[in-house]
Amino acid sequence: MAQIAENRRKEIQEIVYDFFADECEVDVSEISDQTNIIKDLDGDSLMFLELIEIFKKKYSLEIELKTIGKYAVKHPVETIGQLIDMQMLIIEHENRILELD
Amino acid sequence: MAGKVVVTGMGILSSLGLDLDTNWSNLVAGTSGIGYITLFDASENQTRIAGEVPAAFEDHCKKYIKKRAAGQMTRVTRMCIVAAKDAVTHAGVDFEQMDKTRCSVIMGVVNTGNSSVESDTTPQNTVFKSMSNAMSAWVSLDYQLMGPNYAINTACASSAYALASGYDLIRNNQADLVIVGGADSIINKEEIEGFNALYALSVQNDPPEKASKPFAADRDGFVIGEGAGVIILESEESAIRRGATIYSELAGYGLSSEGYNIMAPMKDGEGMAFTMNKALLSTGISLDEVDYINAHGTSTELNDRYETLAIKQVFGEQAGKIPISSSKSMLGHTIGAAGTIEGIITILSIYHNTITPTINLDHPDPDLDLDYVPQTSRKREVCVALSNSFGFGGHNATLVFRKY
Repeated sequence: MAQIAENRRKEIQEIVYDFFADECEVDVSEISDQTNIIKDLDGDSLMFLELIEIFKKKYSLEIELKTIGKYAVKHPVETIGQLIDMQMLIIEHENRILELD
Repeated sequence: MAGKVVVTGMGILSSLGLDLDTNWSNLVAGTSGIGYITLFDASENQTRIAGEVPAAFEDHCKKYIKKRAAGQMTRVTRMCIVAAKDAVTHAGVDFEQMDKTRCSVIMGVVNTGNSSVESDTTPQNTVFKSMSNAMSAWVSLDYQLMGPNYAINTACASSAYALASGYDLIRNNQADLVIVGGADSIINKEEIEGFNALYALSVQNDPPEKASKPFAADRDGFVIGEGAGVIILESEESAIRRGATIYSELAGYGLSSEGYNIMAPMKDGEGMAFTMNKALLSTGISLDEVDYINAHGTSTELNDRYETLAIKQVFGEQAGKIPISSSKSMLGHTIGAAGTIEGIITILSIYHNTITPTINLDHPDPDLDLDYVPQTSRKREVCVALSNSFGFGGHNATLVFRKY
């Protein structure tokens, strides 16, 4: 079970790293889990939405955007690592993510 | 007593080039930027010519704007950002040394150009590409400026109104520096059809470079141009503190509404004359001090006739002694950008003591008998110059620039 989770995290991490490298025109080697999306990459909040759409398609997720929005308000994402962790939770819990609080 | 408002930087993109120096040298040489439309297939349109920004712009702007942001902008907004960054560089401004709460952005925007020529519009970027405050917002974001930041739409006078508004912010001590500009392109199938339906555009497609002929007997409408112009307005105190080069003073302005017709100007140019008079009154400059007028000069029957009559009304016998030229003879009509693009040309005329010509004046209209600086530029000391902008809906603006 732990191995599956680790593999999935790696898969998500690769997608997220590639996405930010492409959109922010930086080398993927410059991105780590500690990278701050706004301060270090000059990223924007829209990127988060675009990534959600990518993952919704990839994993056939049923989660509503407003549910993610409610969760994100209580758990703000600043770094790439935090974004990946939240994505893991979304995939695992979908609309039940709010019950985690 | 508030201090002077001065110009410390300029940036311009047009059919005559992608930078200030190239534009100026082409304007002084009397070069036409008008050619056949390449942005879309215009073969079925009545008008098939326009002044397009060179195709090299697409690569040029990659040096200025990151891919991510560029994807949220129209081509017109990108033009604005490039011109703004050039103007800031030209002014030598380091915003880290300025009070950013006193640095503003005002853009004259008729529309952002999110038309059928924009091939990459998606549901995700359509709002950003369409919002009329996008240009001023992006400029402000780029430099993290926190002074007032907004867009003004008064049709073809939009960016002239933006300059007037920037002047007020500085004079009223609301800002030390204002990035003022405009960008526009209506080179798309639907808008050309619309203006053709109003009989406003020239249909003399061959040869394209001869079509825009303000004040000529055979003029038949305006030619569409596109581009961006951005001016750095600054308080004299701030400019001196920074050791900036001052290119001219914006001495004042006149704004008015004709309240007359959605398209046609008031008969005999009464509204235009009122606006010029108002501008001169705001500065205390006397009629005989005016050395040059950069005319609105659209190459339409009514504008050129009425603008000539208006100048005669205002200046009386003096009118025949003042050189008047239309930059639109070379650039076409850049609509929302025209106020600042022509403002820049007026400022450079003062700075270089050189008046750019009205080209294509091969057959002067016998009724229009002022000095339109035909065909070739002219060296002459220019201390005070007016720049006229008149928009559909009766939005009039006259800016007064003075040598510093």
